[in-house]
Amino acid sequence: MRLSLRYKIVGGFGLLLALIGLLGWVTLSLFASLRSVQTEVFDEAVPGLVVADGIVRSYTAQSAAVRGYLINPRPELLEQYESETETSARLERRARPLLSSPSEQALMADLIRAGRAFHEVVDEEVLPRAAAGDRTLAFSFLGEQGDDAISTIETLGAQLRTAQAQVMSDSETELSRRSTQTLITLSLVTVGALSIGVVLAIVLPRRLVSDLGRLVDATRAIGRGDLDQRVDIRSGDEVEELARRFGDMQAGLKRLQQLALQDRELEIAASIQRNLLQRELPKTPGVRLVPLQRQANLVGGDWYDVEADGDSLTVVVGDASGKGIGAALLATVALSVLRAERGQGAGPRRIIERANEALRDVIDPDSFTTLIYAQVDSATGEARWLNMGHPPPFLLRSEASPGKPRGLYLEGPRNRVLGWFEDPGLEETVARLTRGDRLVLYTDGFLEAKSPDGETFGEHRFAEALMRLCALEPSAIEEELVREVERFAAGKLDDDLTMLIVEFQGASVRESVTTPRGEEPWHSKR
Amino acid sequence: MAQQKVEIQVEDHEGYRVLRPTGDLDVYTVGSLRDALGKMIEDDSPKVVVDLDGVPFMDSSGLGALMGGVRRMREAGGDLAVACTREQHLKLFTITGFGEGVSIAPTTEEAAKGFTE
Repeated sequence: MRLSLRYKIVGGFGLLLALIGLLGWVTLSLFASLRSVQTEVFDEAVPGLVVADGIVRSYTAQSAAVRGYLINPRPELLEQYESETETSARLERRARPLLSSPSEQALMADLIRAGRAFHEVVDEEVLPRAAAGDRTLAFSFLGEQGDDAISTIETLGAQLRTAQAQVMSDSETELSRRSTQTLITLSLVTVGALSIGVVLAIVLPRRLVSDLGRLVDATRAIGRGDLDQRVDIRSGDEVEELARRFGDMQAGLKRLQQLALQDRELEIAASIQRNLLQRELPKTPGVRLVPLQRQANLVGGDWYDVEADGDSLTVVVGDASGKGIGAALLATVALSVLRAERGQGAGPRRIIERANEALRDVIDPDSFTTLIYAQVDSATGEARWLNMGHPPPFLLRSEASPGKPRGLYLEGPRNRVLGWFEDPGLEETVARLTRGDRLVLYTDGFLEAKSPDGETFGEHRFAEALMRLCALEPSAIEEELVREVERFAAGKLDDDLTMLIVEFQGASVRESVTTPRGEEPWHSKR
Repeated sequence: MAQQKVEIQVEDHEGYRVLRPTGDLDVYTVGSLRDALGKMIEDDSPKVVVDLDGVPFMDSSGLGALMGGVRRMREAGGDLAVACTREQHLKLFTITGFGEGVSIAPTTEEAAKGFTE
């Protein structure tokens, strides 16, 4: 189970609070114990001592009052005797609850009995005789029996004082013992609580701070551009989680760094490709050329090339398999060979052979290139082309004529893709264009555009759209077609789109077609 | 973009294996087919029929993987044939010329009969 940082902190503070609570409880209980000893001394022992003394003093005073009365019988001495008698009786009542030990209670009982004996002697023997006028006999009774009782009372009073003094002495000893014990216990508990508090206050934050410090170091390393510093924390709490997420962030940053590098490389590649691709079309009286290219990525495998030499116009549209950098490199190889061979005066067949050899030598076995290598005579409208595994050109006629479709795919003899076959085939298709005819060259990105349902745009939709848009200018046809394809694919086009419309504007020439095999090269796909 | 995968089932037959990819074969998924074909050569089992009945869409990257597969299998002393009834793929094979020199048939058994010896 993961112990969260919150629970660790709450647990630490909880333990600290429990220690403070324990300290408070121990302190209170020890003071309560001291208080009980104090109560024993001040509420019982001291008042007990005072009362015992008071009783003895009262009886002594009673004895002195009676003795004085026998010598000089003044009534106030008799009143003093009676008053002290009440005092002794009151003190005796107070003394009972104050004396807690059985021995003290027995002494007090003896003292009360002696007091009663003294009162019996005085009240029944001494005072009646004194009242009868026989003072000598009264003195004799008081001296024989009353003094004995008073003596007993004094002895018992002394014993009670001694007992009470012992209680006080014991209580002081107990108080001292408990005070010492309290001090030791309080010291131990305080030291223990402080130690645990210090451990909690130092160890927990130290580990937390140490882990966070490692994270801070790693963050500084990122600031310096070092993305390889690993932070391995196994604390089982939020800090470990933070370290893990930090690692993910490092990996993400590294990927971004690599991507940025790749983007830079892609931009370089795109710049090279832009320079290689046709930038300005040559002026070609009699033929209007309108290209369109929409790349799915910065670089791509689609390309076209145009060259004019007198009335002869060479138009090439190519498509390297795959996408991205690999396809762009393949396109570069094909285009470079094409231009180099043409520069040396080679004819179309030779150029294609050399391109095939170069692509077979250079590229990996999974790649190939399709292209249409076309030549158009801008004076006569004669068009010849080698179709190397490429989708067939589409012809948009200048005007509808009875029995003939307005547009059709020109399916001549087929050759094979470049870069894979030793002999890709070199059969040529020948067609005659009449004034206003448009030959549409394109790449498979149009046909293979995929709808969200997985359906492809296909040849049928492509042909239908071209024929529907044929009244528009070539550039408008291209733009509208791209919009239709994008709509069809719901904006998600993975492949490049390239189109080149060749519009023949020269003298009207009778349409005729010949092929090396003598086959009909124009087939409608509808 | 991370490489996406296409499910590929492998079946053992007498003298050859059948690979049945399921899903689109395009630039994003073709790596799986290329890897599977590479493994056939590693396993010294270079006679393979690729059944495209479970592949609704294939672009030039997919076709490139098949063409590369043919070349590699043949270099390893085997061959690659294709079982396919989907018109869209057959059309692509015709346009590019792939169908010439490679055994393509409606069923895996018929395709396997066309292995070059």
